Amino acid sequence: MLLFLIGLGVLAAGAVFVALWRHGTRGDAVMKGCVAIGSVAAAIPAVRVLLTGDPVSIRVSMLVHGGDWVLGLDALSSVFLLVFVGVGVAATFYGAAYFAEERAERAVWLNHALLVVLIIALAVVVTAQAVLPFLGAWEVMAIASYLLIVTEHEQTEVRRAGLMYLVATHAGTLALFVMFALWSNGGSDWSFAALAANTHQLPHGITPIMALAIIGFGVKAGAVPFHFWLPPAHAAAPSHVSALMSGVVIKTGIYGLLRVVVMAGGAPAWWGWALLALGVASAVLGVLWALAQHDLKRLLAYHSVENIGIILMGVGVGALGAANGQPAIAVIGYAAAVLHTVNHALFKSVLFLGAGAVYRATGTRHIESLGGLGRQMPVLALSFIVGSAAIVGVPPLNGFVSEWLVYQGLFRTGIAGGGTRLAVLAVPLLALVGGLALACFAKVVGVVFLGQARSEKSRTTRPLSPGLVGPPVVLALACVALGLFPVLVMPSLLHVGAQLAASDVHAVAEVTETMADTQRLSWFAFGIWGMLFAVWGVRALLLRGRTVVRGPTWGCGFGEPTPRMQYTASSFATPLLEVFAGLSGVREHRGATLFHTSVSDFVLDRGVLASWMFLREQALRLRAIQHGRLHMYLLYVVVTLLATLAYFVFWPV
Amino acid sequence: MPVFFAPLVFLLLVLGTAPLMPGIASRTKSLLTGRRGAPVWQLYADLWRLAQRGAVYSTTTTWVFRAAPVALLTAVLAAAALVPFDGHRSLVSFSGDAVAFAYVLGFGRFALVLGALDTGSSFEGMGASREVTFATAVEFGLLLSFAALVIATGEMSLTGMLGEPLAMRWPAATTSLILVAIGLFALLLAECARVPVDDPSTHLELTMVHEVMVLDHSGPDLALIAYAGAVKFALFGAVAAAVALPRATWSPMASALGLLGGMFLCSMAVGIVESSMARLRMVKVPLYIAGSVALGGFGLILLLR
Repeated sequence: MLLFLIGLGVLAAGAVFVALWRHGTRGDAVMKGCVAIGSVAAAIPAVRVLLTGDPVSIRVSMLVHGGDWVLGLDALSSVFLLVFVGVGVAATFYGAAYFAEERAERAVWLNHALLVVLIIALAVVVTAQAVLPFLGAWEVMAIASYLLIVTEHEQTEVRRAGLMYLVATHAGTLALFVMFALWSNGGSDWSFAALAANTHQLPHGITPIMALAIIGFGVKAGAVPFHFWLPPAHAAAPSHVSALMSGVVIKTGIYGLLRVVVMAGGAPAWWGWALLALGVASAVLGVLWALAQHDLKRLLAYHSVENIGIILMGVGVGALGAANGQPAIAVIGYAAAVLHTVNHALFKSVLFLGAGAVYRATGTRHIESLGGLGRQMPVLALSFIVGSAAIVGVPPLNGFVSEWLVYQGLFRTGIAGGGTRLAVLAVPLLALVGGLALACFAKVVGVVFLGQARSEKSRTTRPLSPGLVGPPVVLALACVALGLFPVLVMPSLLHVGAQLAASDVHAVAEVTETMADTQRLSWFAFGIWGMLFAVWGVRALLLRGRTVVRGPTWGCGFGEPTPRMQYTASSFATPLLEVFAGLSGVREHRGATLFHTSVSDFVLDRGVLASWMFLREQALRLRAIQHGRLHMYLLYVVVTLLATLAYFVFWPV
Repeated sequence: MPVFFAPLVFLLLVLGTAPLMPGIASRTKSLLTGRRGAPVWQLYADLWRLAQRGAVYSTTTTWVFRAAPVALLTAVLAAAALVPFDGHRSLVSFSGDAVAFAYVLGFGRFALVLGALDTGSSFEGMGASREVTFATAVEFGLLLSFAALVIATGEMSLTGMLGEPLAMRWPAATTSLILVAIGLFALLLAECARVPVDDPSTHLELTMVHEVMVLDHSGPDLALIAYAGAVKFALFGAVAAAVALPRATWSPMASALGLLGGMFLCSMAVGIVESSMARLRMVKVPLYIAGSVALGGFGLILLLR
């Protein structure tokens, strides 16, 4: 644990150095070094915990209310910590390159320092084992995120997105305050261990706590219907911050839910059903709304909603399995959720960092004006395609492994029978999500990187610095590696699953089977890669010595095609969106020579904003009593006092 | 003799006879409509001819266009390795490989669609858009049917779902399994680009789905795509036929040959459908697929009751 604290110290030193050397690139370089060293140092104890299985913790005596502060690493914390610092390092390195050219116009050092603060807060959130450090780090995380989102605060849209994020995240935090207050049950020790011990003596039972956990952590995770803040905020932030927020910060919501499960020693069945339903709704609606987007980063942000949905489906399956005394299902469901968390952090970072590079090169995020970038930035295009295939969930990449585990959990729930067998109905819906995600990323890759440039912006791109290409390439390689060797991480994941399911990992026969199946899946992935090279070889052999001609694209007899005649993102996605009619929230605008679509998020427009407007209108009525006449105010005071007096006279305490 | 020998032989048998599938369908169609038609081995001749040719590449295309046919064929071959043709064993088998079957075909589709979009042609964009639209519904239906089979057999790999456990459960779950088999056949028509979803013999780009996506591919690339299409046809035929034909007590050889017969029957049925109806309007296709999905859905609900 000491090494972990030293690591955090080195990270903090990085933030200080970058603030000291504000001008020039020396501060950046030192910061990168500090973040890399600090992250490695903080990660070593986590790896040790995962390998040995023994949790470690450190207890600091504090002279404040709420008892000692405890920081600790168990299997669950360790997996999240490793993902967080891994993506954190990639985002920091990328961020230094991303902001290099804005050094003259804004205080980039502040941005870099905030990013490091955010990474530290994330590390504390997943290691805190007491309420105060947890909520403190949670708040630092929220505020650092807010300040990072409003980096480009000269734009109204960015300020609006930031404000909405701030309001939403605090609404969620409020739910967490209530949850912890109920859980502490008036006790003076607010460590997680003490709360866990309270679980069975709560006057209102565990139900309100579990419900508040769904709200509080659901807002942070961005599950439908709490997702409305997420797409604008993630689109407004600088790209490496979006990567960190989408890949990591929203995962603290998942971590919170899982931590609550550990503390409560399991979750009731209704909670499993609720999360499964939330998961299905988030996944289907998230991907559907993503399909309709034309802003590259907003589209990716909606995919975060989708993937949070898939993760929640895993959590729901795990909770259902545990509640029904089926440890195998519980372990597999929870392991699936954690693995998808890891995977999503990897491929979503690839995609956001790639989107940032596209933005730097072209100056636009509007996909309808992009096109043909694959020729100008082949390496970035390749890593973006790998990231896309991974998020779509096709083998042989990592996204498939976790979706495969979710499917297994659902299938097993169906086979096991009993009331929970209906959970198997989520199987085709997950398949639908896969199909829609495929359509969406075919659209993104096809419209942004393939074909011909649709505007001057994408025809004359600025060259990319290696710092913008390196991090996505490394993360894409990690996606490939995790797709090939899921066996390496599977034991740790099953261990985490067993911790959540409160069962012994060795006592469940199916866990051994799952390891063997993962091994075979690994071979299958190797087979696919081998076959790819083999078929490529056959093709090369067939083409050897043949005439290979280059010519214009076949225009079906029309000889003068222009880039404007290409299929647009709108036209590509519309047939699919029309199938879902009102659910997709798409509006079509047709003219004689024009077709485009716009999209509205019905939760935001008809739910959150509408009820906010209603509240404001109702509040206006109260203005009648605020008229500024002093004697009337004095009258209010007298009336209130009299009423209080009357209350105490007639209903003595 | 190593254990993978028999499944490998049967796999190669199916891969070798796959080009007959479209041939039988079109031969049936021509017989029923009173034409002479092409011989059943027409596709072998086509593949041979294409393999001898050079290729033309559009100046718009990148490596994505060249890799697409390779990835498509790889995906289809990988899916083929998961199917137990003799009803007892497949080349690769693991719990949940039914999901891998559906998703690896998705990998192939992703590659083909990207290849089509790489040309920058509006026709191919149109085809790609239609392909992903229909395929989304097909994937929904396919996993629904697989879920029904999982519930029916209690197995999560295709080897169990299509093998002995399926045959054991057949007497008890006949209705569901027949519904699932019909649903799978209907999905085959959609996934393999046949009437009423797509018309493989159309020559008007605006009405095509699958064919328009490969307009720019030529020579060996086109051969890879055509062969991959035939193998996919064979695989869907094999899955549908395996559900309809419980063969637990048969010897592996008889079982594999029986399945091959079932696949050819499937192909004839495709020909019969094609000669008896026209392609649906594009906007009606989702309704058609929803109908075939509903069949699998009824099968699943009957099993869950």
